Amino acid sequence: MSSNKESFNQISPSEFFYRNRDLAGFSNPTRSLYTAVREFVENALDACDQAGILPDVYLSIKAVDDEQADPKPYILTVKDNGPGIDSKHIPLAFGTVLYGSKFGLKQARGMFGLGATMAILYGQITTNKPVEVKSSTDGQSQDEYELLLDIQKNKPIIVKHKTKEVSKRGLSVSIYLEGDYSKAGAKIRDYVYQTSLITPYATITFEDPKGEKFHQTKIVKTMPLPPTIIRPHPHGIDVETIRRMMVDSHFQIPTVDNKMIEKVRKELGLKKKNLNYSEIMEKASKRWNGISRHVRVVIAVMSFLKMDFEKLSKIRIDDMDIANKKLVYWDFGESKSVSIDLDPESEYYRQLTNTIQGETLLSFLTKRFQRIGQATAVKFTEFANLKPEKRIGTMTNQELVKLSDSLQKFEDFLSPDPSCLAPLGEEPLKKGMEQFFKPDFLEVVQRGASAYSGFPFIVEMGIAYGGEIKSVGQTVYRFANRIPLLYDEGSDVVLKVVNEIDWTRYKVKNDAPLVIVSHICSTRIPYKTVGKENVADRPEIERELRLALQFLARKLATFMSKRGQAEMEKKRANLYSKYIPLVAQFCTELAGKKKEPDYKKMLKMEAMVEE
Amino acid sequence: MKNKSKKTSKTSEERRESLSRLLQEQGLKIYSELDRGEFPKFSVPSRSVSNIVYDKKLRQYILGNTASIRSTRNMSQLRSFTQLIWLAFFANKLVQEKKSSTLRDIYYSSQAFSIDFEDQPESDNIIVDLEAVLARPREDLHIFPEERSSVFGDLTIEYTVPGYEGKRTNLSDHPDGYLIGPSLSSAELVDTSAELVIAIEKGGLFTRFVEEKVDKKFKAIIVDTAGQAPRSTRYLLKRLHNEMGLPVVILTDGDVYGEHIAMVIKSGSANAAHLRELTVPDAKWLGVWATDIEKYKLPTIPMTESDIKRIYDLQKDPRYQEGIWKKELEVFLKIKRKAELEAFSKYGLTNITDKYLPEKLEIAKSL
Repeated sequence: MSSNKESFNQISPSEFFYRNRDLAGFSNPTRSLYTAVREFVENALDACDQAGILPDVYLSIKAVDDEQADPKPYILTVKDNGPGIDSKHIPLAFGTVLYGSKFGLKQARGMFGLGATMAILYGQITTNKPVEVKSSTDGQSQDEYELLLDIQKNKPIIVKHKTKEVSKRGLSVSIYLEGDYSKAGAKIRDYVYQTSLITPYATITFEDPKGEKFHQTKIVKTMPLPPTIIRPHPHGIDVETIRRMMVDSHFQIPTVDNKMIEKVRKELGLKKKNLNYSEIMEKASKRWNGISRHVRVVIAVMSFLKMDFEKLSKIRIDDMDIANKKLVYWDFGESKSVSIDLDPESEYYRQLTNTIQGETLLSFLTKRFQRIGQATAVKFTEFANLKPEKRIGTMTNQELVKLSDSLQKFEDFLSPDPSCLAPLGEEPLKKGMEQFFKPDFLEVVQRGASAYSGFPFIVEMGIAYGGEIKSVGQTVYRFANRIPLLYDEGSDVVLKVVNEIDWTRYKVKNDAPLVIVSHICSTRIPYKTVGKENVADRPEIERELRLALQFLARKLATFMSKRGQAEMEKKRANLYSKYIPLVAQFCTELAGKKKEPDYKKMLKMEAMVEE
Repeated sequence: MKNKSKKTSKTSEERRESLSRLLQEQGLKIYSELDRGEFPKFSVPSRSVSNIVYDKKLRQYILGNTASIRSTRNMSQLRSFTQLIWLAFFANKLVQEKKSSTLRDIYYSSQAFSIDFEDQPESDNIIVDLEAVLARPREDLHIFPEERSSVFGDLTIEYTVPGYEGKRTNLSDHPDGYLIGPSLSSAELVDTSAELVIAIEKGGLFTRFVEEKVDKKFKAIIVDTAGQAPRSTRYLLKRLHNEMGLPVVILTDGDVYGEHIAMVIKSGSANAAHLRELTVPDAKWLGVWATDIEKYKLPTIPMTESDIKRIYDLQKDPRYQEGIWKKELEVFLKIKRKAELEAFSKYGLTNITDKYLPEKLEIAKSL
């Protein structure tokens, strides 16, 4: 009927991102400039973190033509002292989309390294200039590339490549892009400032288009421990995840091909001998303890098939249906499918079911999860009312749901192993805040690891009061995986927790000069929006944030009341040393005495007197 | 009429000396407390409404037994304690040097001693505190309010103020009358031929009375209270009554405020419940009564709402529960109209002195 023909073409990832660049934060010149800065700075910091190098990051934004009005082309350069990138990887890393080294499962600032290529892509679209990459991995020779992206083919085009001698290791990326610094400037400066705060082990320099320089030398010289990759924690598991984990752990019935038969022969010591079926079985039962698991399974299958090696090589096992106790095979000689019954009384039956039904629940729990040992696993099965020896392969859907629910409810699991996380640590956070705010009071806390939906997270928080903080009321700095969250704070869980606290209970006035720094580390931060500026209020995260803040607020309350007392004592002392001499003077005259009474001793005791 | 007997009251000199002793006692008490390392304190009789009671025997408001301790132990009282002892110290100097000062003077003088009064009401309040502690009016302490009333008539006084010691004056020498100021308040009352004191609410009528020689015609000393009688005036009235044995009669406007002006002269005010030497319990209110308004057919003006409210308030006062005080309030409430002293001018300028005053004085004898 219709002559309308839609054509379905596969598009390249570059093409896809080009068409959907709003999603990645490149919607307009203001936002694009800011996003590009973030992507390159975060990549530089991540690279240094992973290599265990104290980062020294230099960021510069220069207008191509100062006189021109915004929006206009800028040159954005980010230089680091990281490990650099091998020359052969550079064209692919910077000239294709979806090429990256961040596909692992551990905490990192960015994900997959998509953003940097997006920035390059955006720069190329708006200015038609190549990206300039300079990399040295050894601190001696440096590869310098000028690259363009072939958007349709998702392939790099090398415009220039040369090698040069240098004295420093590291990576430098320069792009031309259209931006609006007059609008994005404040946001970028905030970003650099806050990044320095949460990365006190880094030296960060920023030169802006007006030639103004921000420079923060590293405050601490120790890096946070690098994260490692770990098994999932039981609290963050759902049915689907368990199902996937079971597929992984499933022990397959080995393919009974010639190669397998050779192996069985070898293990039974029958390499050259041809025995009949019952002779083979006899031999097998004698040698049972010395043979491998795979071979045992094959023997068990043979016991039901009642076949020798000759016969066995002419069939293909199609299905083993434990529930209905049937085994189905294809007989090549007869060219037909045969079904036989499995005798549950046979001693080989168990061997077979064990294999097919997978490992026991107990072993599944202890081997596949972190934080579950033998004792915990037994306790858990009692709690869940599941048999510890139950084969996970035989579990019904209902039982799986029960297992999943129980895993989340059982409270005796230790907190998730935080080794996959890289919190900043209390000491560096404290030193950073001290240097930045120079407060009268400072306290930081790192909560124990917790988990939401299977993802471990750690909350770190610091509170600073008074001193050089001149703000009226609280200023909250929010960080997630060491990235500052600058906007959309209205709906953020951290702000929610801060706003809900009743400060008067902690002797803090609502307009008190207060800074709160909140850092959430997780293998996955639950952002509310694509913009990645606000964290969703997951109850587990909200709880940890609240406990952290309450802990700090109590410390602050102690400080405030001590300070209040000290101030009161001081005020008291001042008042008494002002008025008592006057009282003495007047009463001396009134009494008609010459000498004043000895009131000095009173001035000393005032501070001790109760109100 | 010779120098009347001083049966109930001391002379100015005696009063001054006893006050000095009182102040010195307070000074010594605080001195020794400080010397012993104790926190000095004053006991200040409470002037809150709940502690003001009417004493039927004394026929005036007095303070009850509640007193608050103002102690240097309490940090929040330290400042007001210091202000109080400073004031005692300052008043003592005034008394010793026979100098007078005003409430405003006190406020400014305090600044030379780094006693931080925030405003005059604060210093006024401390003055009342000291009055309560010593149970002496501020006039004894040579502290006077700004407003002053006058006196005229045959009364000879002898000054005690420096430079005038021993000098005598007769208060009928000057037709405008004599200001009832510090020097008059501290003077000794020597002699009088008068047999009566007429206190009158208004300056205009006071002048008329002088012109009409009421002092001679009625053998009277005339006092202008200038509205609500100031403390010094009430103090003089009391002395004239006690020291010279003169009866006191009062003429006010014919309204509820006038009635109360008379009552305050007679039995004091709640504001001065801490003082007992300012009342003339035998003083008599001559008028203008509410009943006089009809009797003399005086031109009237209608009462305002606040006038009426004031009547209801006073009806709750124990002093207004009997006699003319009660009756006149009721009539005022009934007619809801009021008349001023000047209203008599409708019948000629001298009507009040020729007709009204003699008639009322006659009635007063039976009160």
